Amino acid sequence: MSVPVAQMWTVATYVLGQRLRGRKRYPLVLMLEPLFRCNLACAGCGKIQYPAHVLKRHLSVEDCLRAVDECGTPMVSIPGGEPLMYPEIGRLVSELVARRKYVYLCTNAILLEEKLDAGLFTPSKYLSFSVHMDGLREEHDEAVCREGVYDDAVDAIREALRRGFRVTTNTTLFEGVDPERVRKFFDTMMDLGVEGMMMSPGYSYSKAPDQDHFLRRKRTHELFRAILDRPKRHWKFNQSPIFLQFLMGKHDFSCTPWGNPTYNMFGWQKPCYLLQEGYAKTFAELMETTEWDRYGHKSGNEKCRDCMVHCGYEPTAVNHTFGSLRGFRDTVVATVTGRP
Amino acid sequence: MIAPPDSVEGWEPDVAGPADLARVIELAFDYRGDVTVVGRDGSEWFGYLFNRSAAAPDPYVELLDPAGDAPVRVRCADIRTIRFTGRDTAAGKSYAAWLERKAAAKDA
Ligand code: SF4
Ligand code: SF4
Repeated sequence: MSVPVAQMWTVATYVLGQRLRGRKRYPLVLMLEPLFRCNLACAGCGKIQYPAHVLKRHLSVEDCLRAVDECGTPMVSIPGGEPLMYPEIGRLVSELVARRKYVYLCTNAILLEEKLDAGLFTPSKYLSFSVHMDGLREEHDEAVCREGVYDDAVDAIREALRRGFRVTTNTTLFEGVDPERVRKFFDTMMDLGVEGMMMSPGYSYSKAPDQDHFLRRKRTHELFRAILDRPKRHWKFNQSPIFLQFLMGKHDFSCTPWGNPTYNMFGWQKPCYLLQEGYAKTFAELMETTEWDRYGHKSGNEKCRDCMVHCGYEPTAVNHTFGSLRGFRDTVVATVTGRP
Repeated sequence: MIAPPDSVEGWEPDVAGPADLARVIELAFDYRGDVTVVGRDGSEWFGYLFNRSAAAPDPYVELLDPAGDAPVRVRCADIRTIRFTGRDTAAGKSYAAWLERKAAAKDA
């Protein structure tokens, strides 16, 4: 695992603090969506299909910071849309860093070099660029429905690393992907020098234009076993090894939808980052009024049946780590041996 | 209960009672285009219907009006029907179009 020790320590003390206070449900990573606008239209994306006047809007930095303070998570992920199209992204990130939040800025990297040149960001242990990379050149350009994006993203990663920024990759895998190509992709990313990689199976958003390539549960286990059964020593993942084990079918977890609460221009999204079943005005209202039992793999909810996405299950994996001695031992063993 | 067409874009449902209205509100909430909420008194609100609550003491829908900043809230009790007037932005065939373009480029 590649998460820096200081970050692991912050997360561990936060989680243990929540448990000591007896909180049954607590958030871990705020998913902050300042806008839905994007400069790509990826096949598996269900986030950007809105009327033009909605796409033109964005949250104010003050709204974003209010949400951050309300839920109090130690980590903030900024997906979108494309956050680098947010006019106040530099100020937002510096405010979050000043609050000592670990920020993952999730970007397709098309604008990254331009924004680095403009001096919008300063390297910090609190800031990581999490670059969307869905595979090697052919697979990535196909997933994002535009040629040349892979090469642009690789150039931007190199430049960000050269300037001393933390860079990770985030990869969504869909049906039909070749495990050997994914392994080669991991080699390529590690050779580039990224700090670590994150991956997840895609979620079948009902609004996504490509409905034929989402993974079902059994296929997900088979695919991730084929990818991860013989991990290479130099591969580093910026996510919980227990989550990777879950993807391989070694754990039967329920999701933790409140673990990665989502805030955007509509409010606090019920129940999770993936589903839009309504919006709450405050974080407290989200926690109190969402009928959590209606969601998750075991609830029988059709929309949750095949979901194994990181934003629902990574917090479960973290809870597993800190919830029992066995969970802690599993995590330590996987971290030390490098075998998920 | 009211039966929606395969594509609700352009649909102007005839709402016969509370069950129909509840169904139309859910369809409008799920719709990724603008709608026109028509009031019982003939008033109209146009915009993106992003939220609704049937469980609130006074059930409501909320819209983002293209011209305004703050969301507009309309009581369900005041609604006669909802017309699906805007384009369905999720109905595009962008992935299919990309595959076609790629195949054509390979053949060329
Ligand atoms: S997946 Fe990300 S990069 Fe692709 S269209 Fe959606 S928001 Fe944009
Ligand atoms: S399983 Fe959990 S994370 Fe996945 S869609 Fe359902 S509620 Fe959301």
